[in-house]
Parts: sequence; structure tokens; C-alpha cells
Amino acid sequence: MKASALTPLHILSRVGAALLGGYCFVWGVTTLGIVLATALGMSFSEARTLFYLLAFLLFTAVFCWAFAAASHGRAWLVLAGGGAAMTLLGWLLAH
Amino acid sequence: MLQTFRQSMAWLHTWFGLVLGFVLMAVFFFGSLSVFDREIDRWALPETRFEPQPMPSYDNLLADIFAGMEAEEEELEAARKRIGGELPAQLQPTGWGAYTTHRDPVLDVFAEYSVPNPKDPFDHAHGHLTLDPRIGAILPHDSLKIGSEFFYPLHYSLHIEWKQLGTWIVGVAALIMLVALVSGVIIHRRLFRELFTFRPGKRTQRSSLDLHNLTGVVALPFHFIFALSGLTIFAFLYLPVGETVLTTPVQAHLMEEAVSRGLPFEPAGEAAAIASVDAMMVEAKKRWAERGMPGEVGFLWVTHPGDRNSFVSIFRAGSDRVAFVGQGVHFDAVSGRVLYEEPPPTVIAGINEFLTGLHLQHFEHWPLRWLYLLGGLLGCTCIATGFIFFTEKRKRNLNDATLVRWVDALAVTAVTGMLVATGAILVANRLLPAELPHRSGWEQTVFWMAWLLTLAHALWRGRAVSGCLSPAWREQCWAIALLAVTAVALNWITTGDHLLKTVLTDRYWPVAGFDLALLASAAIALRTAFMLRTRERAAARIEHKELLAMEVARG
Amino acid sequence: MAEWLSLALAVGSGFLGMAWLALSLNVHWQQVRARALPPVKTLRALAAVALSVSLLLCLWADHPSIAVLVWVMAISGSALSVAMLLAWRPRWLKPVVVWAC
Repeated sequence: MKASALTPLHILSRVGAALLGGYCFVWGVTTLGIVLATALGMSFSEARTLFYLLAFLLFTAVFCWAFAAASHGRAWLVLAGGGAAMTLLGWLLAH
Repeated sequence: MLQTFRQSMAWLHTWFGLVLGFVLMAVFFFGSLSVFDREIDRWALPETRFEPQPMPSYDNLLADIFAGMEAEEEELEAARKRIGGELPAQLQPTGWGAYTTHRDPVLDVFAEYSVPNPKDPFDHAHGHLTLDPRIGAILPHDSLKIGSEFFYPLHYSLHIEWKQLGTWIVGVAALIMLVALVSGVIIHRRLFRELFTFRPGKRTQRSSLDLHNLTGVVALPFHFIFALSGLTIFAFLYLPVGETVLTTPVQAHLMEEAVSRGLPFEPAGEAAAIASVDAMMVEAKKRWAERGMPGEVGFLWVTHPGDRNSFVSIFRAGSDRVAFVGQGVHFDAVSGRVLYEEPPPTVIAGINEFLTGLHLQHFEHWPLRWLYLLGGLLGCTCIATGFIFFTEKRKRNLNDATLVRWVDALAVTAVTGMLVATGAILVANRLLPAELPHRSGWEQTVFWMAWLLTLAHALWRGRAVSGCLSPAWREQCWAIALLAVTAVALNWITTGDHLLKTVLTDRYWPVAGFDLALLASAAIALRTAFMLRTRERAAARIEHKELLAMEVARG
Repeated sequence: MAEWLSLALAVGSGFLGMAWLALSLNVHWQQVRARALPPVKTLRALAAVALSVSLLLCLWADHPSIAVLVWVMAISGSALSVAMLLAWRPRWLKPVVVWAC
């Protein structure tokens, strides 16, 4: 990514991908993770505690990745898109 | 985002660190003060200056207190708005409890009342009292515990209660703290080689960066774990998956848990008298001793009080370990027999208990508490030197002049301004008349007004000349010293508890410790003020010489 | 051994460990002994031992969950003290490597 392409809009998009996309991604991992863990026999509160413990480590990692990703479009796709997909899958499996 | 990974991380660290640094400064500083929150409460409320007390008798003291409790007026108002109607004269209590630690002379007592026709099935109105457990005397509602009810909530919520917005802002700041630590390590090329490097004699830009790196790396585990544990404590708020997308599994789980533990989820609707809770406390202590962990009662909670399905939960105070309450024993309230004794936690629950207890620190270990204070102050220093490095680096570039001037003013406000506001609320606490209506509101107003004044002062006195620090730093250091010494003097004058008394003749460390800390702060502030004046004069002399040299070269 | 003594020794041991670690770096060794090179392996081995002893002393004094926290914070404080000494009074660290002077 060329540094010359650093317009305010680009920066805003990266920040959005990192914060909102990252949040969506963590939400998705937490939802799907809890559903899968409970399916494997873990109690609900155990599973929730486990994913709460991992959530912010994961958020830190994907936040940094959003700024290292080759394009902000890719960051949005992976984080927001992936997060939405995981949340949907988790919701479907739970109901 | 930029050409290399390292450059992207540097951009991230600089700009997010700058913006959220202002929030993190407050979070770290008031978090550090919160280590000694109960000691600050003693200073602010002289009528509570006695020795810590254990959990008092329920049967002879607490039972009457609970029976006479009501939801607070603000809570009732908010509840009326939520249900859009009137409330009955007496609300049905769904739970009442008491909480104490090894540092509490006064006892915190709470109650939860159910709200009729609620939109949310868990909707409650709350009541809260503080009492002297020796005699059951209730503290006036308007007594602000400056430590545990002002500084502590300030550090996790910024006192912005609307829709929990303040807690969310602090959450984002904590996440950025983690990101800043990770990105900081990535961009710091010679982390190990420069681990002990601090060159105070060099230019401000170099020495501030040295100190920033030193304070960041030397306490890196502390900074990382505190940010992470803070986020984990509020994870139920930040990631409420159980209340949104997974409500069905949660309901099933709560039902199943209630059945397996024998703890009734719903009230029966029939009235029944409660058995001796004091006997239950004795039984709980006996069971803890049998498990090799004798202890005191830290937390007591009665669910569905007055109902046939009521149960009493008694938890052990974790003064000797990191997990702060645990080993709960649950009793049937009517018969007094044990319904359920909590087993040792699972690995995952144990890790969570450890992280939570580490952050909330109710353990009895004074050296560790003081080390926590050191860690917190190192965090503040890291952030403050970050601001100084940012402004110093950009001062020479005239294009950045406005940015530098604003960042400088905001940095002064966030660092010295914050300390001025802290001194101001302590002085106000001693000066405001005791009978003043809404006294606690006035104390808080003084705090915020003082802080706002420091911003105005910083903007007015700001200068963005290379090699010169704004005189606002020095002037606010003087204000800090003055306020701190005044606070100590006022404590003496208004309560008679001067240092010779609290250290020597009638020893009372909470107040003595805080007075001494205030005097130490004044000394540091004064020394800093003198040091800054010396630098200012040296810089002025250099500037003067340069101007002369230019004149000579021209003439 | 009394708890306070164990903790005091733990802090002392932590300080020595951090001091030896710092002096194993060229730039700091030369603040204490001009124009020489540090015996890196020896110093780092000594540092490892001192820091381990510090941890053991912490574990002696308190419940393990607390002891680990005390140790981590104590060695952070030690590292800071060593850095401050190197910045303002490097000569005061000479006794720590007395055999090399």
C-alpha cells in the first residue's frame, strides 16, 4: 500500500474497519465459539467465560491486522463480513 | 496501511495513543488512587475514622435495617419512566445483601426491589445504605465517599452514565492501551538493549522518549494485564451475546443451573419467616475451615427475602489470596440447612477469578498495594511522556504549530490539570459547610470546574516555541503544591487529626498515609516547578544569545 | 522466616538480578567500568539465579496467587530502580560487580 494514498477517507475507513469490523469479528467468534463449545459438552457459563477471556486478546490482534492488511477493503471484508457470518451461523445453530 | 508493517504500527501507536491517551491518563491516575479508595473515604468522612469491622450480626442488626430500607428516590423516578406508570407505595424486595472487606470500618448494604409490569424481566429499583456496624447507625445519604464513590467510578466510567457511554469510552481506551503496548513493542527496535536506558541530560525529545520507553517496558506485564482484566471484568457489558443472539441457550442454562444446585429461581409467592442467619454464618465459616481455608464473611446475599423459596448465600472474603470472594455456601432461608456448597472452581473459572481479583484487589497485602500504586504511576508517566515527546518532535515544524499548541494545552490539562482538580475536591470537602444541601453534588462541581479552569489557563498560557515548554506546566505545579498542603492543613484544622496525632499518639494510618502522600506530592510538584523554571531560564538565555548572534551577523 | 523478611530479601534479590542483567549490556557496564567489556554469560547466569531466588522467596511468604503478582511487580520496581541509578548515580552499582573492579 503506497503511503501517498493516505487520504482522510482512507484513514477513516481503516479506523472503522479496525474498531467496528474488529468488534463485529470478536462478536462472531464469541457467539459461534460459545455455541460450538456447549455442543462439545461445556456448560454455557464456562463457555462464555472462556470466550470472554479470549475476546480482547483477539480484538487486539485483529485491530493491529486491520492496519497491516493490504487494503482497507480487505480488512472490512474479513472482519465485518467474517464476523457477521459467524454470528449468523452461531444464531442458526443455537435455535 | 503504510509501506511496512513497522511503519503502520508506528502510525497506529502515535495517533491512537495521542487521542485515547487523554482518557487513559484519567483511567490510570484515578485507578491508582482507587488502590487506596477506602483510605481516601476515611479522610473525606471523618465520622468513619475507626477500625475496620467484621460483618455484623444479621439477626440482631441487619434484619431490622433491611426491613426498614427503601429504594432510592432517583431509582424510583427512573423506574416510573421505564414502565410509564405509577409505582405502589411499597415495592417487593427481590434481594438484599451486605459487603465488607478487611479495610472497611463502615458496611455497604444494598437492596433490590422488583418493579411491577416491567418491560425487562430483570428490571429492578435499588436501595443502598452505609452504616456503622458497631451500633447500626446509618450514614447521611449526602456523604460522598470521595475514594470509592467518586475516584473509583471515575476511573471506569468517567461519570458519564448516559447509556453507559463512559464505560464504553473507557473500554475503547483500554483496547487501545493493549494495541499501543503491542505496537510499541513492535516499533521499539532495541527493546532489550535499551531496557535500562534513561538519559535525562539530553534534549527533551530524547529524554522524554527514553522515559516513555522505560516506564512502558519495565511495567509491561502490569500495564497489559490491567488493561486486559479491566476489559474482561466488563465483558458482560461489551459483548452481551447471552442477552441478544443467544437468549434461548441462556434461559435453558439458568433453569438447569437452578435445578442442579437446588437454588429456587422463582419465588413461591408465600410468605415465610427467615431462620437465624448468624447460625448460617457460623456454619459457613466451619465449612471453610474444614476445607483448609478459614476466613471471614465477605459478602452476604438473601434472594427472595420473606418468601418460602428464599435462600441465603454467604461468601468468604478473599483477603489472603487474589480471588476476591468465593467458596459460596447457600442455605435454605426458612429451615437454615445447606442447599449447595460451591465446589472449587474449574480451570477456566479459576483463571477468570484470578484476573478479576487481581484487578479489584481486595487482598490484604500492603507491599503489593503500594507496588500497584507504583505501576499505576508508571503508566501515567508513560502516557505523559508520550504527549511531551509528540509535541517536542513537532515543535520545530511550523506547519504543525496549531496542532502542537492544542495538544500541549490538552496535555497540561490532562496531567497537571487533573491533579489540580483532585486537590480542589479535597479542599472543598474540608471547606464546604456540613449542613449544605446537596453537599456531595457541590464537591463534584468544584472538581469539574477546577479542571475546566486548568484547560482555560493552559490555552491562555500556551506557547509553541521550539525548546520552550509552556509556562502553564510550571504554574499548575505551584497550584498542585498549594492545594495539597492546604488540604493537609484543613484536615488538621477541621478534624483535629494532625500528623503527630495520626502517626504517633493516636495512630490511624489511613488518614496519616493520605496526609503524607499529599505532602510528598506537594514536594514533588514544587521540585518540578523549580526544575522547569531553571530550564525555562536556560532556554531563554540560549534564545537571547541566538538573537544577538543574528543581529551581529546582520550588522 | 517472617513474611516481611522474606519479602525484603525477595526485593533485594530482585534488585541484584536486574542490576546484573543491566550490567551485562555493554553501554551500562562501561558506565561502571570504563573501557572494558562485560562478562556477559556470567552476569546473565547470576541474574537468572537471583531472579529465581526472588520468586522462591515470594512463594515462601504468601499464597501462590499473590506471590506471583508480588514477584512480577517487585522485579519491575527493581528494573526501574536500576535504570534510575544508571541515569543519575552509576557508580553506586560498582559494589554489585565488586569482583571485577
